[in-house]
Amino acid sequence: MKKFLALLLSLVMVLSLAACGGGKGDEAPAATDDPANTEEPAAKTVKVGLICIGDENDQGYTYNFIRGKEAATEALAAKGIQVEWNVKYNINEDSGCADANIELAEEGCDLIINNSYGFEPFMLQVVDDYPDIQFISCTNQGSWNDGRDNTHNAFANIYEGRYLAGVVAGMKMQEMIDNGEITADQAVIGYVGAFSFAEVISGFTAYYLGAKSVCPSATMKVQFVGSWSNATEEGNAAAALADMGCVMISQHSDNTTPATTAQSKGVFHTGYNNDMISVAPEASLIGTRIDWSHYFEYAIEAVANGEEFDQDWCHGMDMGAVVLTDLNEDIAAAGTAEKLAEVEAALADGSLQVFDTSTFTIGGQPLTNAFALDTDGDFTPDAEEAVFDGAFHESYFQSAPYFALQIDGIEWLNSAF
Amino acid sequence: MHEQKIPLIRLAKRDSMEPWKVWCIRGSSFLAAILLGALIFLLMGNNPIAAYGTILSGSLGKKTAIRQTVKLAIPLLGTALAIAPCFKMRFWNIGAEGQITAGAMAASYFALFWYDKLPAPLLLLVMGVAGAAAGGLWALIPAFFKARWNTNETLFTLMMNYIIIGIVKWLQGGPWEGRPGSQMIPMFDSAAVLPKIFGVHCGWIIVLVMTVLMYIYMRHTKHGYEIAVIGESENTARYAGMNVGRIIMRTMFLSGGICGVVGFIVASGANGTLYDGVAAGVGFTAITVAWLAQLNPFAMIGISGLLAVLEKGADTLQTRMAVPASISDIITGIFLFCMLGCEFFINYRMIFRGKHKEVA
Repeated sequence: MKKFLALLLSLVMVLSLAACGGGKGDEAPAATDDPANTEEPAAKTVKVGLICIGDENDQGYTYNFIRGKEAATEALAAKGIQVEWNVKYNINEDSGCADANIELAEEGCDLIINNSYGFEPFMLQVVDDYPDIQFISCTNQGSWNDGRDNTHNAFANIYEGRYLAGVVAGMKMQEMIDNGEITADQAVIGYVGAFSFAEVISGFTAYYLGAKSVCPSATMKVQFVGSWSNATEEGNAAAALADMGCVMISQHSDNTTPATTAQSKGVFHTGYNNDMISVAPEASLIGTRIDWSHYFEYAIEAVANGEEFDQDWCHGMDMGAVVLTDLNEDIAAAGTAEKLAEVEAALADGSLQVFDTSTFTIGGQPLTNAFALDTDGDFTPDAEEAVFDGAFHESYFQSAPYFALQIDGIEWLNSAF
Repeated sequence: MHEQKIPLIRLAKRDSMEPWKVWCIRGSSFLAAILLGALIFLLMGNNPIAAYGTILSGSLGKKTAIRQTVKLAIPLLGTALAIAPCFKMRFWNIGAEGQITAGAMAASYFALFWYDKLPAPLLLLVMGVAGAAAGGLWALIPAFFKARWNTNETLFTLMMNYIIIGIVKWLQGGPWEGRPGSQMIPMFDSAAVLPKIFGVHCGWIIVLVMTVLMYIYMRHTKHGYEIAVIGESENTARYAGMNVGRIIMRTMFLSGGICGVVGFIVASGANGTLYDGVAAGVGFTAITVAWLAQLNPFAMIGISGLLAVLEKGADTLQTRMAVPASISDIITGIFLFCMLGCEFFINYRMIFRGKHKEVA
């Protein structure tokens, strides 16, 4: 009994000692923290929340958002607007996203950006409780026309970037044909897609049309992996496509494994979200990505000035919201840079349409009509004719892509997803 | 000679300990957890006092924060209640995760396809009953195999989790998918969403009522007695004329049924839709809750509340102090480790070599 008391007493002493030690240790970091917090307040400070599906280590999707965030912060600082960011990483597309939105709203954010498609329904559960806070769902489509004033959608015309990347790929394949390395029918592109989802379909169709515009014999095989981000499966799909004879690999998925696989299989590759030349210098020709900084700058500035901003925002090459990463001059076909500049100019002035209906057929027939939007909630488009003036107008009626047609020349190896 | 063969520390079971000593040990282990956690914060360059303050204010500081904390505690408490009778029986039901998912799936079927055919209160009732039935049946499968062929229930229930999660994944991308390719089931109609009481979906009332019922069931019913006897010794139970197989199946059905109700509550009240991660690890965390509460339903309220405070507080910690989310997992782990670990010192004593006369 005595021993027990002694033990208890000594335990208490040790603990209190540790507590004191801990207390002293606290002072130092607190002191260094203070100056940061009491930084002279700028004219305008906006508190912005950003909810991310991953973190910057993915070197892809979320990393691209973080780049946009940093560039926007700098640009806004030049305009005298300070942005205080609150970023939540690795949030899943489930009720955890609703919790993250509540959390950021309660922390006093003026604007909350949700970076993944699947966040939207959970974000919309929360928005009515915070009418003074603006909510943005990137890449989705249910916020801009839901009758609320504080919900927004945003996307970029990434199909323009895809088309240009396709031009680079097509030129490379045409060069290989001209040099006798492959025959004309061997110009096969392998595409690693996440899901058979409009955004993906629109992207690979634009890519294919870009390639076909400079390499008329090009065909494409698409393999869906059933995940937005699964490094192993993406690599496996790329390997399978290369083994089937594809000489060019591209992807709509988050990882760099298709690029590295393409290199190890001795075929070429064009990337998405990030410059992949560093991981696959002998395979990666070019990449395309969305530059979110322009939208962030626009939206945050509006919030700082107490102004309204577009509920559905979509821009592309016209203002640099879609950019190409550096061209790998060492392996790209000769004259690629000049051709790119030419096509870019044509896209910008509207003389070239990506989904020009004279350039593709569906079941052997030209496309004459296709609806863009679904208004009755059955997930089949039923309103707004997208085909006019000789082209399918993508991202015209809303920012989220709606081209979900299967055109000739593209073979879906699986469509279970 | 003889001395050398004795290991430095030996363990011996304690007979019993005075309650105040037990609580001293528990209190000091809690304190040790706090200090260890403070050490982690210090190593990360954060002020521990501010960090703990943030955890408390983030989870309990505001009305909205308390609501979020309660929302986290509801499934934990419900599931801990569900697995308590199984564990009392020494039947290791590791399948709560799957039983929750099964219940959520069955409830979602009615939420998605019957919302316009039934009035809201009846719809919710049907969803709850369907959830209970589905969870119960999902639990009954391993129980049947255990009763009939004495299969290993730990592995069996664990594997059942992956099956049902796979089925929901298939539904998400297949027959129940909303926008093609989106892999998402549409949100429920408002008729299929649990109403809120004091700002939190009314699942909290359901689990509190279940707490009382479970206490009565375990302590004051014949069923509860049978469960306790089987837990102590299956042979005794058999000798006393109990149909052990039947009791195992009955208890598992009850356990799975409660998990199924939890699944219904989570899908309808918190999520408003169904997805494969509906159980979100609750089925496993609840095991810790049940053990820490020593299978006492009322103690489970406190334990699940504590874990919810840690989880919600850690979330705010990440928001305000940019502490990585993994650090908060470490802190939670330290708390659980210390709290579970101290039970060891309550049940066993250490005998050091060379000490012949034993004290304490």
